Amino acid sequence: MKTSPPPRRRADIRYRLTAVVITFGGLLVVVSVLAPLVGTTHVSLARALDRSVPFADNVDAQIFFIARLPRVVAAALVGAGLATAGVVFQALLRNPLAAPETLGVSVGASLGAMIAITLLPPAAIAGVSAVSVASFLGSLGALAVVYALSLARSRGMSSTVLLLGGVVLTTFLGAIVTFIQYLADFTKTFQTVRWLMGSLDVGSYSAIAASLVPMACAAVGYATLPRTLDLITLGPDAAAARGVDVGRAERVALVTASLSTGAAVALGGPIGFIGIVVPHLVRMLVGADHRLVLPASALFGAAFLIGCDLIARTIAAPVELPVGIVTAMIGGPFFLWLLLRRAR
Amino acid sequence: MRRGGLTVAIAAAFAACLAASSGAARPRLVAPSGPRDAAAAQNVDTPHRVVSLIPAVTEMIFAIGDGARLAGVSSYDRYPPDVQAIERVGGLLDPNIEKILSLRPDLVILYATQLELKARLARAGIPFYSYEHRGLADITQTLRAVGARIGSADAANRLASTMESELAAISRAAAGRPRPKTMLVFGREPGSLRGIVASGGIGFLHDMLVVAGGDDVFGDLKRQSVDVTTEMVLARRPEVIIELRYGDRLPAADAQRIAREWDALPAVPAVRDHRVHVLVGDQFVVPGPRVVDATRAFAAVLRAR
Amino acid sequence: MTDPLLAAAHVSFSYGPARAGRDVLDDVSVAVPRGAIVGLLGPNGSGKTTLLRILAGTLAPARGAVTLDGRPIAAMSRVELARRIAVVPQETHATFDFTALEIVLMGRYPHLGAFQLEGADDIRIARDALRATGTDAFEARAFATLSGGEKQRVVIAGALAQASDVLLLDEPTASLDIGYQFDIVDLLVRLNADRGTTMVVSTHDLNLAAALCGELVMIRDGAVIARGATADVLTPANVRALYGVEAEIGVHPRARHLTVTAIARAH
Repeated sequence: MKTSPPPRRRADIRYRLTAVVITFGGLLVVVSVLAPLVGTTHVSLARALDRSVPFADNVDAQIFFIARLPRVVAAALVGAGLATAGVVFQALLRNPLAAPETLGVSVGASLGAMIAITLLPPAAIAGVSAVSVASFLGSLGALAVVYALSLARSRGMSSTVLLLGGVVLTTFLGAIVTFIQYLADFTKTFQTVRWLMGSLDVGSYSAIAASLVPMACAAVGYATLPRTLDLITLGPDAAAARGVDVGRAERVALVTASLSTGAAVALGGPIGFIGIVVPHLVRMLVGADHRLVLPASALFGAAFLIGCDLIARTIAAPVELPVGIVTAMIGGPFFLWLLLRRAR
Repeated sequence: MRRGGLTVAIAAAFAACLAASSGAARPRLVAPSGPRDAAAAQNVDTPHRVVSLIPAVTEMIFAIGDGARLAGVSSYDRYPPDVQAIERVGGLLDPNIEKILSLRPDLVILYATQLELKARLARAGIPFYSYEHRGLADITQTLRAVGARIGSADAANRLASTMESELAAISRAAAGRPRPKTMLVFGREPGSLRGIVASGGIGFLHDMLVVAGGDDVFGDLKRQSVDVTTEMVLARRPEVIIELRYGDRLPAADAQRIAREWDALPAVPAVRDHRVHVLVGDQFVVPGPRVVDATRAFAAVLRAR
Repeated sequence: MTDPLLAAAHVSFSYGPARAGRDVLDDVSVAVPRGAIVGLLGPNGSGKTTLLRILAGTLAPARGAVTLDGRPIAAMSRVELARRIAVVPQETHATFDFTALEIVLMGRYPHLGAFQLEGADDIRIARDALRATGTDAFEARAFATLSGGEKQRVVIAGALAQASDVLLLDEPTASLDIGYQFDIVDLLVRLNADRGTTMVVSTHDLNLAAALCGELVMIRDGAVIARGATADVLTPANVRALYGVEAEIGVHPRARHLTVTAIARAH
């Protein structure tokens, strides 16, 4: 086995954590500041912030505050939400190929949206469209099924059972999604197809505010997880032998990652590849310690999706690409390269 | 569950016309295809058991008085009311070949892209007419061609000429007036301003808008439909927004609520000036004889201030 | 006679629904004196791994109890137990690319608060543990790239970093080449001598038990068939009862401990 000289890294976790937060946080700040200023229409920041011009006449301000800024914020939330969910699922399932889509939470969210688009009358609840609400409820439904599965075994979660259950759920719910599309009126089918491509064009802050609730809950849960995730990846017995309450940690991991995924999909649709690519990329840069990987993935995932959305809305001007296509175009080849590298 | 309606015609517009790159202005004669068809066209026998998979063509056949000759119609048909009594044979994506054959048709009017259906009919020796969906001018062209095909050329030509002159009249009436920048919305995610799909400068709905006196705000993109984002709406500043809804009826309260969903963008001129209109009806989906009514509806909305 | 440090009293366990007379463990008792190296010896499937897991607190016995210093471990919190008992499993698989030092540092978990990060002291303890097992050169190498023997030594270092009184080892040399088997035995003997760490080793390897353990508990089909000092208990008759094998047992002059030579299947 070829052993390349190991990268020299300081062992001190405090130093590394500070370095990670500063570099990735700095990257996110830079990207967040630049992204709203870039787009197919030229917008001048000076004019956008010019208070002397009434808002109704200030096109730059309108585009900046109504079209671009919510989009960047949504991209940051969705990117962070999916990336962190990916990290947690990979640790929970002890499988580096796991993703937020693996356990069926994503498909549950899609099914909720399908049902809302095709069956429900158009409605909005407190400024949030019924489609987003239904999508989030769908993800909770899928979580409930997976959670029940995990409890069915009396001796804690087996990652095999979870993975298999996730595959079955994804396939089954996916079939229902296709069935609904087939039965529906064609314009609605078209809308569902569009929804499934993902879109960060939220246009208002109410959807963002609504998604902050489950995301904040997930963040609170995430704060308790990183070290226990490290230990869990060695195996449940090994973790328990070092003092981890494995059952509780696994339940917290499952629920927080699912909340994070559900909120992200409800906000931006099912955008793929972030949950699987970002954690790996981050691990290549900072190592395997989850106390570094989790915050770094949140920050990098946010910056990454802001970047992808930027590409999506400028590369094919005057039209826009669905952001899911850009993440797939970048994520797909990267993932192949990753697999080839591991196979060495 | 009620099938959504004649919106399959939109399906034809989106799916079948990917290959169509030309603008609406160029008229194309949509001729019957296949040697069998050509032979049948010269035959003295006119078809008396017609199966039509295209709602627009069904309406045309009824409009020229030959509705009694229809043995089967598409599942999405709802107009005129007489179609309720006629057998359903499926649509663009799911034609029921067995049903079609069991009706013993002597002419089947189908979509140009339904290649497998064409092959099966050819094997069964049943002539077919291949319909392609194009712009506004092609509607009357198709009407004439179909009329000739089923042996009612005179009636068809009369109706086509009437339609053309009425459309010309609408166009003349709009000539002297200013042409507002108009966003013609085909659909969006219910309850929010996401996933907006609008006219992009090609297609019969775009042509109708132009005839009615509007300036398609995305017309320069030259596409059947465009995915519209908030930024695009804000940048292009349409003066009128017309949202099309398909189906029989929409309570006034619902139409108002739909229009008010646009209040999230108060700076857009159309919203600011209360020129957001919701138009309901299948005539906005079916490129058939009712396009004249639909165009009049556009013109009325564009005139209103 | 001083009280044992770790003891299992009348422990029974079955994985599935209890079937009379078919439990994995049936009324097993074990007493581990402080500072001793006790071997749980028996064929595969005899229940010794299950017994080890029950001693570790990972499994709860259906009947009976395990005590540490007289206190039932069921009454102790997981963290408290982890400070007293460390486990070295047969194999450790790291899903992600942790370095050897990171693996060892995980042993410090029971000594840190919920959000506390390892400090200089913890790193020093970890490095000392790596040195004690002769693996300090691998500190920055990815654990997954190490050989089987090196991995086991790193895991033992992790258990040392846990600073526990008791070390439980499950088949520590089963998947190792013979050279590494000697390394591990030497290491464990040295640790026991230097630090007084009490050890319980579960194994089916007769020679490992002979070389390493001062006391043996022989387990077959979930029951103890013999227990006592290795010199007393490791006899051809017991080996025949345990494995169905004829064996010659003697003190090898150069090895200076008992060695077992298996000869043939017993009939």
